[in-house]
Amino acid sequence: MSFSRRNFLIATGVAAASSTVLSACSSGSSNSGNSNGGKHDAAKANTITIKVGTAEDSKGPAPEVSGAKKGGKVYLLNDDDFSHLDPQRIYYAWNSLVEVVLARTLTGYKIGDDGSMTLVGDLAVDTGVMKDEGKTWTFTLKDGIKWEDGSDITVDDVRHGMERGFADFTTEGATYAQVWLTGSEEPRKSYSGPYKGKHLKSIETSGKSITFHLAEARPDFNYVLAMHSYAPVPVKHDTKQAYDKKPFSSGPYKVKSHTTDKSMVLVRNEHWDPNTDPIRNAYPDEFDFTFGIEAETAIDRLIADTGNDQYAVSWRTIPQSKIQQATTKAKDRTFTALGSGTSVYWINQTRVTDMSVREAIIRAWPTAGIRRLQGGENRGDYATGFMSPLVAGYKSQDVWGKLKKPEGDPAKAKEVLKKAGKLGTKVVYAYQNDPVNAKVKVVIENALTKAGFEFVGKPLDSTTFYDQIGMVDNPYDVYWGGWSADWPTGYSDFMPCFHSSKVVDQGNNYSHLKNKDVDAAIKAATEEVDQTKANDMWAAIDKQVTELGAFIPDVYMRRIYMHGSKLGNVKMDPNFDGCMLYKMYVKA
Amino acid sequence: MLRFLVRRLLGAAVTLLIISAITFMLFYAVPRDPARMACGKVCTPDTLELIRHNMGIDDPLPQQYWNWLSGIFVGRDYTGIGNCNAPCLGYSFVNHESVLGTVKDRFPTTASLALGSSVVFLIFGIGTGMLAAVKQGKALDKIASSASLVASSMQIYFVGPVALYLLVYQTHLLDQPAYTPFTENPAAWFTGLLVPWLVLALIWTANYTRMTRSQMVETLSEDYVRTARAKGLSQRTVFFRFAWRGAMGPLVTIFGIDMGVLLGGAMITEKTFSLQGLGMLAVKSVINNDLPMLLGVMIVTAAFVVLANIVVDAVYAMIDPRIRLA
Amino acid sequence: MTSTDQQPFLSVKDLKVHFSTEDGIVKAVDGLSFDLARGKTLGIVGESGSGKSVTNLTILGLHNPDSTEVEGSITLDGQELNGASESTLEKLRGNKMAMIFQDALASLSPYHTIGRQIGETYRKHTGASKQEARVRAIEMLRRVGIPQPDRRVDDYPHQFSGGMRQRAMIAMALVCDPELLIADEPTTALDVTVQAQIMDLLKDLQQEFGTSIIFITHDLGVIADIADDVLVMYGGRCVERGPKEEVLRTPQHPYTWGLLGSMPTLDGPVDVPLTPIPGSPPSLLNPPSGCRFHPRCAFANKVDGNRCATESPVLEIVDGRGNACHLTDEQRREFLADLAASKAN
Repeated sequence: MSFSRRNFLIATGVAAASSTVLSACSSGSSNSGNSNGGKHDAAKANTITIKVGTAEDSKGPAPEVSGAKKGGKVYLLNDDDFSHLDPQRIYYAWNSLVEVVLARTLTGYKIGDDGSMTLVGDLAVDTGVMKDEGKTWTFTLKDGIKWEDGSDITVDDVRHGMERGFADFTTEGATYAQVWLTGSEEPRKSYSGPYKGKHLKSIETSGKSITFHLAEARPDFNYVLAMHSYAPVPVKHDTKQAYDKKPFSSGPYKVKSHTTDKSMVLVRNEHWDPNTDPIRNAYPDEFDFTFGIEAETAIDRLIADTGNDQYAVSWRTIPQSKIQQATTKAKDRTFTALGSGTSVYWINQTRVTDMSVREAIIRAWPTAGIRRLQGGENRGDYATGFMSPLVAGYKSQDVWGKLKKPEGDPAKAKEVLKKAGKLGTKVVYAYQNDPVNAKVKVVIENALTKAGFEFVGKPLDSTTFYDQIGMVDNPYDVYWGGWSADWPTGYSDFMPCFHSSKVVDQGNNYSHLKNKDVDAAIKAATEEVDQTKANDMWAAIDKQVTELGAFIPDVYMRRIYMHGSKLGNVKMDPNFDGCMLYKMYVKA
Repeated sequence: MLRFLVRRLLGAAVTLLIISAITFMLFYAVPRDPARMACGKVCTPDTLELIRHNMGIDDPLPQQYWNWLSGIFVGRDYTGIGNCNAPCLGYSFVNHESVLGTVKDRFPTTASLALGSSVVFLIFGIGTGMLAAVKQGKALDKIASSASLVASSMQIYFVGPVALYLLVYQTHLLDQPAYTPFTENPAAWFTGLLVPWLVLALIWTANYTRMTRSQMVETLSEDYVRTARAKGLSQRTVFFRFAWRGAMGPLVTIFGIDMGVLLGGAMITEKTFSLQGLGMLAVKSVINNDLPMLLGVMIVTAAFVVLANIVVDAVYAMIDPRIRLA
Repeated sequence: MTSTDQQPFLSVKDLKVHFSTEDGIVKAVDGLSFDLARGKTLGIVGESGSGKSVTNLTILGLHNPDSTEVEGSITLDGQELNGASESTLEKLRGNKMAMIFQDALASLSPYHTIGRQIGETYRKHTGASKQEARVRAIEMLRRVGIPQPDRRVDDYPHQFSGGMRQRAMIAMALVCDPELLIADEPTTALDVTVQAQIMDLLKDLQQEFGTSIIFITHDLGVIADIADDVLVMYGGRCVERGPKEEVLRTPQHPYTWGLLGSMPTLDGPVDVPLTPIPGSPPSLLNPPSGCRFHPRCAFANKVDGNRCATESPVLEIVDGRGNACHLTDEQRREFLADLAASKAN
């Protein structure tokens, strides 16, 4: 199962349904090389550091990769084209993986060799100056930052990018900042974009600095600005809808040619100055994308490793059918790491109101059996909560003993159920009607029946699965969901998925958890100015919602990729679940 | 002839009209909202409404169909995107391109695939079939017949990867399949399509071998073929001028229909060899819920099939003077 | 026109044509001999499957060499045809010997114009140009009585009427002035008027060019009209042979009696029911023992000692007249008289 936009559509048929892992801005480990399974990963993940860097950290150039050299051409074997290149229309990791070399943002993540992430100033000299406990943020632009035509990137361009997020054609992008800048849940009603000659009142510019006035306190706003949805767009070169095909580059590469669904060529942007960029190395001279290569075909070609394919990288995680072959024939050319997604099974709080019943379901749940059907270790590492190890503050806190007993404990569950006098409780499980999920259903049915439940399975058309479980009055007790934080703090996990205000039709609070304590804790963590403290608070909320039985933890999802023999330092980008174009190099 | 053309073209137009209307209705019978695709992770009802309006899918269905239909003749204006000149098959909000433009872009791939492979399968299919017919009942006939039975029961999704593995990945005898426009580099066009041609042709050759053989066997037993021999004409003349002439009609019919289908895009072949033709475009527009694109591909594909039928009938009339066009 | 030649123009001796099929050997022709003089017409009669068409296809060498075994001798004007090379035969076919087929619609190519089909025979054998061939085709069409031949020459067979197609077929066969013409039931599918016209045409042409004709039919009426000699075939063998008048007036073989009995006569009473020969033609895969006609023969019991079933009667030809039957001449006269009497009643 993979979660970039288009593949997601294949699986579900609905793009906007967001209970799957749609995007990622998260921190994490890049366990480059091979994984030995889930046993130690949780512990390993704890060692990954996610921190806000200093002004010194924000200075270019990026530290050299040892042994790397400039030059050469890299080939990318993609099954599908990028759905968007217009930064304001980018939400999904699939697009961000390439956008990161085309569009610089005010802030960005500097990835360490160990996979650690440091939030640094990318276009800005630092990670911003916060005032009013997070309501006011000011950023100052670096010197020497240029567009692909050699003109300076100005604060007007930065403001223009923010304002474009309100236009009627950029509906695909993130909406966080728009809401905070207008104080409205329907931001387009307050402001309709920059094309009618009006600017947002909440953004001030002066010289090289830009100040954002937010309607609410957002102490991690500097993380949010690393999203491509908030990248600058040059006022003079804004081609509106057409910008999506050929964005004006501020990064180390620019689009030379792009034929939708067929090919795209990126070449060096000569006006990009590495000395201003603490994040990107940009070794190869050119990236050649070919679209429409099936994931299986791409892996066959990479295993064969001939001709240009020696310089190629698969853009799609290795399909289950090819993993065995790939890891036996060319283990050294595969690279795997945790992705930013967490897979869970929601428990509908509207229907399953008894905590003992929820506990029994969670304890009985056959997580290991399910994982075996979905690809085993390559599917992911057993999860203990909702928060991914790639989110700042993550703690492994195994509330339900899932790491100890991943197979589930129906006996214990039955005990719990018996004690509560709830033996024979009916559990309605809704699932997407496809072959794998049909098998998964059987495993779940066996476990729950053994635990003393009356199991009812409801297969749903996979194209409308999210529409159906997204209804607040849905008639199901348990259903699957996936999530990935939009940036690596707890906010974009817990606010959308556990706050009582998000219990609405097609909202993201699929468990329908309405808990005053949780709401209060989310509010407190959101407003906490000290990010170290805030991270601990999010971890506490993770434990809290896990204990409340809002969901059954499943796995932290994993990715595995492959590259040709003539490429070096091909590593997973912990932000975007794919390879880092800007850190790989072509071997001599 | 003129009457035939006018009548058949009118019929074709009606057919296409019906196909487009049915596609339109079927698409909306499926409860999926194309607007949801363009709506972000946090999708508010207002945003959704805005997208629906921009896409023109907030109008009543008949109105939408009319907009689409009239666009073909007078063009359309999309708010914020610009004019789509006639013949306008619509605008894809997934690819952000005009449907006609995309179809035009994909068509050469599909056409090259269809034409190239048909040259191969016609030469080998008809050649082998004729040989088998001449050597009726002999070893060569039996070998050809059983080989074609085996080949025709094979599937692209099996033969394709095997051929790739053997010819490309392992031995490097042939090039990795890829499409290069003929006008850009004829040599690369040829080498890039060789593997798909051969694989596609392998399977189709079998059909044409069997059809050619059975048609030839049938016409060889016709009285007029015997007459031709009784006149003292040589075996060769009899075989090609008389028997083949008679066998050609049914073959042309089948080939015409096959060609119509092939020009509509060989989905599995295109997928197997990572070629971006009409077949892949159709598959993706279904997956992406892209109605304008799907409609466009469907109409173009249907047009090829309908056109192929007209051409077949005209060619048949040229081959067989008993057929009169009206 | 030299009927007194020492050597007959066409001589078929002990011809055997056997096909191998999946079920076994089919003995389509099993020891057939006959002669044909120049300018004469031999009528071959017999039911379907009696071997008459096979005989004539074999003369032209149009049998399938892979599955057919041909024994005996066929000499045309002194030239042995059995075993002759394909190229030798190609030069003779359509040139020295030609054939008119039964179903003109099926036997003419639907894909080529009449003119072309006639002309290509001419071109093949004379090396004439296209233009010359066309002129010749028009001439031939005129000769066989096609109106406006210069226009109809470009028509396709389907644009011709049945009679016209048969004439065109004749024109095609005669385009190289063949010395031997084999006409395989050329009038069967035509109505009586057209039939008569075609017959007249053939007779006229024979008179003009002195062509030898083998006329195959199952219709004794047609034989009466055109033939000089008659050969009656049954089960791949000749059962009776002789000059037309004799065979028709005093038929000697019970099978011929049967054929004559089953023939409607224009001058006879209309309401007399026809008396078809009971039973069906013999299987050539497993032909009956002895006389092949004996299972259907009403007189088989008149021969002593069951000889009809065990002993194959020998065909003895004396002065071009003969039959293959075990009945004695007396018996024959007696039975024929009875038949004539019953028919008159």
